[in-house]
Amino acid sequence: MRKNFKRIFNGCKYKLLFVFLTVITTASMGQVKIAGRVTNASGNGINAVTVAVKNTPYATATTSDGNYELSANVKPGKYVLLFSGVGYKTQETTIDVNSASISTDASLVQDALNLDEVIVTGTSAGTTRRQVGSYIATVKAEDLTRGATGNVLAALQGKTAGAQITQNSGDPAGGMSVRLRGISSISSSSEPLYIVDGVIVNNSTNRVTNTQGNYDGQGFVGTIGQNRLTDINPADIERIEVLNGAAAAAIYGSRANSGVVQIFTKKGKTGAPRVSFSSNLILSSLRKKLDVNQSPTKFGGPTDGPGAQTQDVLTPALTNTTPVTRYDYQDDIFRKAVGTDNNISVSGGTDKTKYFLSGSYFFNQGIIRNTDYQRYSFRTNVEQVLSNWASVSLGLNYVNSSANEKPDGNSFYSPMNSVTIIGNFHNIHDRDVNGNLKAVGERGRVNPLSVIENIKQKQTTGRIISNFGIKLKPLKNLTLDYTLGMDNFSQLGTSFMPPFTYNVSDGFYGGGAGLDPTRNGYASTGSNTFFGINHDVNATYNMDITNNISSTTQVGFSQQYEKNNYSLVQGRGLAPFVQVASGFSTPLPTADERSELSISGVFLQQNFKFYNNFFLTGAVRVDGSSVFGKNQRNQTYYKVSGSYVISSTKFWESSSLKNIWDLLKLRVAFGQSGNLTGIGAYDRFNVYSSSSYVGRGAFSSSTRLANENVKPERQEELEVGTDMSFLGNRINFSLNWYNKKVTDLLISRVIAPTTGFSNLIDNFGSLTNKGFEVMLGGTPVKGKDFTWSINGIYNHNKNKATNIGTGLILFSTNGGAPVAILQDEPVGVFYGTFFAKDASGNLIKNTAGIPQIERGIQNSPSTYTTQRDANGLPTGTPLRRIIGDPNPDYTATLVNEFTFKRLSMRVQLDAVKGGDVFNADFRTRQGVGNGKIAEQEQRGELPRGYVSGIYAIEEWRIDDGSFTKLREVSLSYNVGKMKWFSDLTFSISGRNLISWDNYKGYDPEVNAAGQSTILRGIDFGSVPIPRTFSIGLQAKF
Amino acid sequence: MKITYKIFLLIAISAIGITGCKKDFDNPNAATEDQVFSSVQGLTGVAISLQKIYVSGLTGSYYNIVDANGLVTNELFLVNPGNIPELQFSTGGNAVDGTNTVIANIWSNANKIIYDGDKVLAASEMLADKNYASGLIGYTTIFKALALGSLSQFWDSIPTGIGTNVKFVPRVDGYNRAVTAIDKALAAISANAISTSFTANIPPGISIINTLQALKARYALFAGSYTVALAAANAVDLTVKSSFTFDALNINPIYQFATATNNVFQPIDSTMGLPIGLRPDLLDKRVPFYMTINTSIAPRFRINGFGATALTPIPIYLPDEVRLIIAECLVRQATPDLAGAKLILDFILKQTPAADPYGVGADLPLGYTGAIDAASLLTEIYRNRSIELYMSGLKLEDMRRFNRPLSERKRNFFPYPFRERDNNPNTPPDPAF
Repeated sequence: MRKNFKRIFNGCKYKLLFVFLTVITTASMGQVKIAGRVTNASGNGINAVTVAVKNTPYATATTSDGNYELSANVKPGKYVLLFSGVGYKTQETTIDVNSASISTDASLVQDALNLDEVIVTGTSAGTTRRQVGSYIATVKAEDLTRGATGNVLAALQGKTAGAQITQNSGDPAGGMSVRLRGISSISSSSEPLYIVDGVIVNNSTNRVTNTQGNYDGQGFVGTIGQNRLTDINPADIERIEVLNGAAAAAIYGSRANSGVVQIFTKKGKTGAPRVSFSSNLILSSLRKKLDVNQSPTKFGGPTDGPGAQTQDVLTPALTNTTPVTRYDYQDDIFRKAVGTDNNISVSGGTDKTKYFLSGSYFFNQGIIRNTDYQRYSFRTNVEQVLSNWASVSLGLNYVNSSANEKPDGNSFYSPMNSVTIIGNFHNIHDRDVNGNLKAVGERGRVNPLSVIENIKQKQTTGRIISNFGIKLKPLKNLTLDYTLGMDNFSQLGTSFMPPFTYNVSDGFYGGGAGLDPTRNGYASTGSNTFFGINHDVNATYNMDITNNISSTTQVGFSQQYEKNNYSLVQGRGLAPFVQVASGFSTPLPTADERSELSISGVFLQQNFKFYNNFFLTGAVRVDGSSVFGKNQRNQTYYKVSGSYVISSTKFWESSSLKNIWDLLKLRVAFGQSGNLTGIGAYDRFNVYSSSSYVGRGAFSSSTRLANENVKPERQEELEVGTDMSFLGNRINFSLNWYNKKVTDLLISRVIAPTTGFSNLIDNFGSLTNKGFEVMLGGTPVKGKDFTWSINGIYNHNKNKATNIGTGLILFSTNGGAPVAILQDEPVGVFYGTFFAKDASGNLIKNTAGIPQIERGIQNSPSTYTTQRDANGLPTGTPLRRIIGDPNPDYTATLVNEFTFKRLSMRVQLDAVKGGDVFNADFRTRQGVGNGKIAEQEQRGELPRGYVSGIYAIEEWRIDDGSFTKLREVSLSYNVGKMKWFSDLTFSISGRNLISWDNYKGYDPEVNAAGQSTILRGIDFGSVPIPRTFSIGLQAKF
Repeated sequence: MKITYKIFLLIAISAIGITGCKKDFDNPNAATEDQVFSSVQGLTGVAISLQKIYVSGLTGSYYNIVDANGLVTNELFLVNPGNIPELQFSTGGNAVDGTNTVIANIWSNANKIIYDGDKVLAASEMLADKNYASGLIGYTTIFKALALGSLSQFWDSIPTGIGTNVKFVPRVDGYNRAVTAIDKALAAISANAISTSFTANIPPGISIINTLQALKARYALFAGSYTVALAAANAVDLTVKSSFTFDALNINPIYQFATATNNVFQPIDSTMGLPIGLRPDLLDKRVPFYMTINTSIAPRFRINGFGATALTPIPIYLPDEVRLIIAECLVRQATPDLAGAKLILDFILKQTPAADPYGVGADLPLGYTGAIDAASLLTEIYRNRSIELYMSGLKLEDMRRFNRPLSERKRNFFPYPFRERDNNPNTPPDPAF
């Protein structure tokens, strides 16, 4: 069977499959009007409850008073009317269509755990939470727009279990990374697959700015810059579903290794046009300022001019002192920033045509001077019923964004690092007679004001995401749908570093002391265009086998194709006034990189439902990707899951337990998924890349050898969980335990250079993520006017690399972080030299009182023997061990919500505990003398030579990354109907207001390596996350 | 509205048909191994990449050799101790360990050059155009020899070749292999002269035959084969320059990463790191050739010489190195010719900068005034090599060959890179110093 399946698949003959499914008939129809009112337990009408005639395309929604009216073109007979509303249990009422007008009322029961909420993920027709055997988180619109952010991923922070969402940079369009149940790959991105209305949307990070190639020592920088999900406007979103692992995401097959995030945008609803408008004023500022060195003297000679001597602290031979004036340059680079977020939407429709139109303008300044980000976004979602069995839909989203940036932190010409790398004793505002800034010290550093005033970097993106869908219901129980998704964007980045007027090092694109005109200044233009298309065809067949057993069968086919072109022109040694890359006198290597890949897959999913309390689902998916060799191309993934709602059994319903224990659901799921895009489109080929060398063409072989028969990575996940609720749904509890194992891990492993190569990319070893997620919620107070609800999420994940061999994989990173992958350890630990300690754990110091680096014999990467000399000081080779781990022990969120009459308040606390940060900037501040430890040495409170003595001890840069943040606070007052407004709300909210931490830098929530999978928790010149306030109003007309 | 399913079906199927099921995409960004090694252009390109690996960039062999050798032999001063590999060298002893990236670059580049070089050499022999092939063989052999030399200069044992879990042999084997490879190349060239179409295809500046002879002399000397070294040195045309040239896109690496940044290393001072008694004469014009003085910005002594500007060519060997090889062979050979050695030293000391093809001249009219005995002459040869060949990466080998006390250097041999040790069980233990 499996073989046949594959053969069909290979031959592309599966297209024929759909021809079989279209042999259908139609029968005579009649028009019927169904109307009624939907109320809650206290008899009040409920707004926006969907009323649908089951297994037909006819549906509508209730108005604000709970009334609905629906016209359906159906044959006479018995039908089921479905009432479903957010927060209510779905109700089914059987109606008998025998007259032209039917009246049916319904009273809905609150559903705290949203058991009957419809989940679209993984099926074309949707299923209910009751049925799924795996945990799927849902986040609703109102939770996304209250947190004072214009970034959808920032808005998701703390709102979904099992996700660690990190803002890597405080830039206004700063990168965000999402890790669902830990990382799932080493070689590729661990960001989940994003699907917006059926379109697979690209969330890549492309370096069209920060293109400088020699970028500080060619170290491993990571994945820096904007990630493209910044293009999605949170205000357009109706709902987000998050699938944490393979157990839930198996039917997404080959690209679901890191989980799936499905985003559904708002749709029109039947009724008169509704105009919604919201406007917010955003105010951002630096949350925490660092204390700087206030010592009145420095060691050695003058700070500037002839004989200048900076980095005095690191030169212990200097013992004379010079009085200096101290400055705080933070005021020169930071500012109070403002922004606005304006959204308008119009939605409405008739029985046959529904539309949602929106326009948005978001503008936000960065807290770094002269940085900002703006985004225009337009969206149209239209659905048209063509006949009683067919409907089409079209969604179009155009986004245009532009960002004024400053160089990324990883360079010393970035705003943060230009301040970090100099002693705070230069008057940086000092100018020569021509008004030009002057050099800072003798080392050719960049004056921070040059970065703020002169260096320009701009990134613009135009993007169209469109989806076209056809939904057919040719037979009573058969649904066919087809989705065509296209994602097309083009990014353009320009960088301009004008020639410096003072001594700036060649390494920072200066012209040196002689202002060499062929080297001074830098300009580049980088562009990246992406085109992606995906086709998905699904057929769903529902069948009642007996009265109590029903079946849902689904078959689907998916075809995806992606094309990406990246190009770069750059040069240095600029002519005055000219900002474009063609104005250079020294060309730098250009880039022109093209890639294409395609993936296709078919799947079959079978679901059985017994007595509405026991559910069983099995699925199989076969996928093929062009990225892998012919023999490894096609992969098969299986999934099986079960769900047992014990509280819906006859036994439970008739027992007295029912009175206090409302819900008990047990679920178990197992699934497999792959990573068919785990390596680059052509990474399996061993190639010779061409470049120019002194006017001749060179063909260089890669330092990395590829196994041309590499396989995709595979993930298997077992998830067991339960959902419970008690005391009339006042207390809710869910627990997920999971064990994710990624095998055939693609690692570029270090091999002996005597093989002719330094790395070999192949399927080595595996990776496990084990953990659990607990969600506990309750409503301590629930009164007529006042309600207090409290919800908590606790996530624990333990990541471990296994079977990767005993060798050490050590990355030479840009910020100096010694990031390693070691057998049986979490991926991305910090591995390096450490402080020598005595038996009782105290630091060993030399006679001068300076702590010592541990020495001895390194027996293997993870074992060593310490040695002491006659004076009890360490002797031998400097030893290395794991000195820190950026992976947190747990993350947690606590949300308190209060409503008092029309006033509501929401307070969200996020905690990340137990992770370490490699605080490179902390050490630099001491080395160059603007930090507080340097001050102590200059004031004589620490022995002379203290900083230089411990400078090489990498453990000194390990900092406590734990924090608890007051992530979101929002307060809103609903005025309700007022004059020409049908609804009016005022709100004030805050984001990242307070952080409780012991971190020695600005903010432990940081990653200078951006969205990198392996490099986490590195603080090297990153812009700290601002404290943000937002004041706004939301109005409906 | 009457619509047939067939229309939808047609739309869906044709839409899928647009993208089809194509799964084989050619890589437009690079050439495959088969393509490269089956064409003359491809082979030439790979050979040129060997020069690039050896010379170009921060990770290139040349920069790393000058850096490592200069810091452990006291030629250089570390400007910024934040450069950890360099801090290891300037601290010396057991501070230098297998994580050192500078050491790893020298090691990896050498093995890469040998790997690709051997493939080019093998493929060149198949070429029909023997005159083009001899050029390719000669040019490629230069880098293979330099790669073998860089291994033998810094490690006590070196790998026997390329492969998995390769064995190690004493380092003298590397010099002998370099000499053998050069002999093969010289034989190929003498059988079929290098065609001009080949020399037009490689970066300008390299005199292939003279370079092969000079490198043969250097490595035969290091191996102790004085007769071979003497013969090869005498075969070098000392008026011809042979150097690595640069252009705007690929600039002089010493300039790029040390001179221009003033953040890694600079000359230690005008003593060139030599002990009292061996230091350059105050009037020795080779000192100002190799360093300038900056009176306003620290440090005082700055790189000049072959790292002066972005486009300064780097000589592969200096004519005076060849002369000093001859002098050393004359002293060390079975029947020493001390007078002959003195003559050469006189020539080198008296030579004016203008008389040297590269401008490296001592201009000390007195010439050699010391004793005419083997020990004194050898010391003077070492002293002149240290000055004449300053910052060329050869000093550590010289210090060992001339039995300089260990206290004059910070490390005698380098530890093996961890990436080799961790992945090759045959890696020998690290020397203690």
